[in-house]
This record gives sequence, structure tokens and C-alpha cells, in this order.
Amino acid sequence: MVQQFWVAFNRLKYIFIIVLAVGLILLYKNVDPAAGTLFPQCPFRQLTGYQCPGCGSQRAVHQLLNFHVKEAFSLNALLVLSIPYLVLGFVLEKISLAKKLLIVRKTLYGPAATIVVLIVVLAFWIGRNIS
Amino acid sequence: MENQSTGQKPPKSWLVESILVTLFCCLPLGIVGIVNATKVESRFYAGDVSGATQASADAAKWTKIGFFAGIAVAVCYLIFIFLLGGAAILGGLQSS
Repeated sequence: MVQQFWVAFNRLKYIFIIVLAVGLILLYKNVDPAAGTLFPQCPFRQLTGYQCPGCGSQRAVHQLLNFHVKEAFSLNALLVLSIPYLVLGFVLEKISLAKKLLIVRKTLYGPAATIVVLIVVLAFWIGRNIS
Repeated sequence: MENQSTGQKPPKSWLVESILVTLFCCLPLGIVGIVNATKVESRFYAGDVSGATQASADAAKWTKIGFFAGIAVAVCYLIFIFLLGGAAILGGLQSS
């Protein structure tokens, strides 16, 4: 009985997440965050006037969902560039890895790579504010 | 030492989630998450499995705090906007 409840709950949970995701995709595809005040703005930018590494990502998602890669790139280059890296990282995390893939994982997401990611994010943060 | 960590997958480093928090929640907590991810990886491949597990738990904690803080800010913002919109509509009704 209890078990049946959890099974049902988990199914509903995934339906909820899928509905939410589809809703958000439709919203971000059809409404440009640059146009209105409906979408939350970056608190860091409002406080300091400087851009954070995530600034422009909502507008960039809107452009990407409409296949305007160039516009998205100029709004937040880090977001566009990191998509393939994030997708591959997600997949490598979910599947069990044979020895060869484990080496690939260590090269791309291991000790050295994560430090490179950190440096890239910080450099992007500084770079977009001084250029 | 090295045999312990070869042929195995490190504990979850939360790197992907941390980058997503950095990009979408607009909070420095994503950076904290990435720093913790570097700790997970470097400790694991140095043979310190228990240290890596500890860092993984830390990474999970900070990434989740960043994620929920981002959602909370967005929800507060939406409530603020709708209250403001509602007030404006009521004000418009009164003045007309």
C-alpha cells in the first residue's frame, strides 16, 4: 500500500517535471525576456552594475529556442559554449563507465579539467566586464 | 593507493549542476559548487576516497542551496511583479 503510493507519487513527479519543462520551453521560446519585466533580473547586476557569468542567459535561451545561435552567443557566450560540455557530462554521470570511457571522463571532467572550468568561468566573468 | 581509485568512478562531483547554477541562478554559490567539484576530483585521483566523498557531500549541499536560492529569488520577484500589476490595475479602476 505504502509502496504503491510512492510508485504513484514518483510517476506524478516526473509528469509534473515534464509539464513544467515544456511550459518553460514554450514560455522562453515565445516571450523575449529583453522586452518585458516578467522575468527576474540578475540581483548581482542590479546591486553592482557589473555583469555576472549568468547575465543574459534567459535572453540567450530565448534566442537559442528560436535557432538564433549568433544572437545567443553575443548575449551569453559561456552558456552557448557550455551546452555540449554539460550534456556530455550529464550522460557520463548517468551511465556506468567502462575503462576507456573512464579515461575520457577523467580527461574532460577530472582534476585538471574542473580547474580549467573554474578559470574559464572566472575569466569570462572578468572579461565581459572590462571589454 | 593508486589502485583504489583506478577503474572506478569518482563520487558525484556536481560539476554540471554547479555550472547550471552559475549560469541560471546568478549567484556566487555556483562558483562555490565548482570549487567543491575540483576538490572531489583531485582528492579522488590522489587516492583520498573518503575525502572525495566528503567533498561530494559539500558540493551537493552548496549546489542545492544555490539552486533553491535562485528559485526563491525568482518566485519573490514574480510575486512582487504580480502584486505591483494588481495594484496598478486597482489604481487604474479607481481613477477612471
